[in-house]
Amino acid sequence: MSARVHGPTEVVATVSDVNSVDDVVRRAQNGDVEAFESLYRTHSAAMFALCRRMVGTDGEALDLVQDIFVRAWERLTTFRGQSSLATWLHRLGVNVVLEQLRSSKRDASRLIEGDDSNFGTRSPAGQIEARIDLNAALVQLSGGARTVFVLHDIEGYSHDEIAQMIGIAPGTARAQLWRARRALMRLLDL
Amino acid sequence: MTNAQSHLTEEERHAHAEGSLPAEQLPVIETHLLGCAECADDVARIRTLMTRIHDAPAPAAPPPLDELWPMIRTRIEASKVVPLSPNAIRLDGRRRARRIGSSIMMTAAVVIAAVVLGVRARSHRAASDAPNTEPTSLIAVADSAHAFEEQAQTLLNQLELQRSMLRPEAVVAIDHDLRVVDSAIAELKEAIAHDPNNPALRRLLASSYRQKVDVLKRVGNAG
Repeated sequence: MSARVHGPTEVVATVSDVNSVDDVVRRAQNGDVEAFESLYRTHSAAMFALCRRMVGTDGEALDLVQDIFVRAWERLTTFRGQSSLATWLHRLGVNVVLEQLRSSKRDASRLIEGDDSNFGTRSPAGQIEARIDLNAALVQLSGGARTVFVLHDIEGYSHDEIAQMIGIAPGTARAQLWRARRALMRLLDL
Repeated sequence: MTNAQSHLTEEERHAHAEGSLPAEQLPVIETHLLGCAECADDVARIRTLMTRIHDAPAPAAPPPLDELWPMIRTRIEASKVVPLSPNAIRLDGRRRARRIGSSIMMTAAVVIAAVVLGVRARSHRAASDAPNTEPTSLIAVADSAHAFEEQAQTLLNQLELQRSMLRPEAVVAIDHDLRVVDSAIAELKEAIAHDPNNPALRRLLASSYRQKVDVLKRVGNAG
């Protein structure tokens, strides 16, 4: 099974679509808020999905989506078009989420040290829910394991990239991933 | 795995399931899997998990996602700062008009934000009468607005000296733009008069003065 390409799945665009997208990006880079709004409409769902998977709750994910697009507005002039806007936004979004996780006392130690003490321990009601829904199961993982799992198995980043982004050793990232998978296998009854 | 009898390591199991095993290891690992049901089952379970992950739908966006935009827009408008060109290059008429125009758009957006904040502030005012003592941050923001106001006045005086050297159509455009900025400032001052302890309104006022200074500096640089 091949890893997913970084970032959300993009709709196949025609040449004229590409030109149109380029034009919208250019206008947004020049300060056109209406153009930026259309970029928000196009990419916000993908950003929400990323955030929701990484932080586990709708409320936190919505806050992060706001932060991501405010940051995107501030940094948009640095987008040079070497990658697609979706890829650029995705990387920016991952960085915003990781910053938030680092700054959050709740998750900071988990992100760095990989506290996996909660793996697979949950209420019976939660277990039933998780068997039905992978996204619900993800919520049960510790912050660090969930981050590594989402970045590697869902978003397609390599261990080296993840290690660099989070500031841990690649070996630690691997170990986190394996433990996350084991926990999910238990939660999903595989 | 040290020999054919040993089970696969955790790394080998995951690597085989995700297809990332080095080619030279593959024959040995596959030979082991053929003879070891325990390892083969485990690798199959990992692979099943990965398939489930791959096929899992993205979390559905909740209804408030569309409603986030106004908040994002307000944050964008409130933080907007037009960077001044360090090289102070001379701009031709069209570029100058475009730049000044974008400043005006930003100021207009600030007014929109001010109206939103003003409405919000008025709804809160009934619930709580603000104390007269201004917090330090409010005073700092007010000082900042005052400093920009003074700077704007100095630049306006300079503009008056330059006015006769500018093209008539440029003078008309500049006067129009300044009227728009001043209108925004007047609205913000009115909103602050109703809600003197609202720090967001004060910040927006300071930002509007800064926009005015910015417009005047560009005129000065370009003239």
